[in-house]
Amino acid sequence: MTYLIIAVFGFISGILGGMGMGGGTFLIPLLGFLDIPQQTIQATNLISFIPMAAATLVVHKKNGLVKNHRVLIMILPAVIFAIVGALLSNVVEDKILKISFGILLLTLAACQIYEIFKPKKDLE
Amino acid sequence: MIRDGENFAIALLGAGIGFLNGFLGGGGGILVVCALVAILKMPQKEAHATAILVILPITIVSAIVYVFNQRVDWLYTLFATLGVIAGGLCGAVLLKKLDPKVVQIVFSAILVIAGVKMFF
Repeated sequence: MTYLIIAVFGFISGILGGMGMGGGTFLIPLLGFLDIPQQTIQATNLISFIPMAAATLVVHKKNGLVKNHRVLIMILPAVIFAIVGALLSNVVEDKILKISFGILLLTLAACQIYEIFKPKKDLE
Repeated sequence: MIRDGENFAIALLGAGIGFLNGFLGGGGGILVVCALVAILKMPQKEAHATAILVILPITIVSAIVYVFNQRVDWLYTLFATLGVIAGGLCGAVLLKKLDPKVVQIVFSAILVIAGVKMFF
């Protein structure tokens, strides 16, 4: 039963991910309804989005939407600090990870709400 | 000169986003989109596509660390992955049929609910 629920949660976050809205962000709170350690939830979220992200990237690349230039400047430090972050999460309590993620989600919500009400300057 | 400043900002944001995504296991994708739009002045569509190029290596590297830390439950991951792929295909179809404004509002509401939920 737990596996079925996990698949359904994956499906819901996959829909949002497919719409290009950070689907990975939602699998974490959803899996929080089940009795799973937070680090395992995070691992599940990370790995389960790799195949979809890779497939999506190939499609976008073909359509010429991926702009490589200067992005490497961002990727290199990101990868190094991702390792640091992942190592740190292993020695931190579940509660701290959950609350930190809650703060991140609320910050993202604030940005989104600002985007909605921001006056449109450019008409593309 | 401006370009140097921009590059520094991108590198710094990359480090911060990478750390967060590794530490919290997600949430970095949206931040990358914001950074690309704000600093590199990329149009939304290209920013979304390019963000995946940034987030994919971060995710893979973080995942490897979680595997080494023995935090992975492979059966959970398998079922989640199958769900994500099926949902992703539906989402891509749905996106073409929905009003972007409505999508944005619903998305914000979900973020608030999910965010508050994390505190309990």
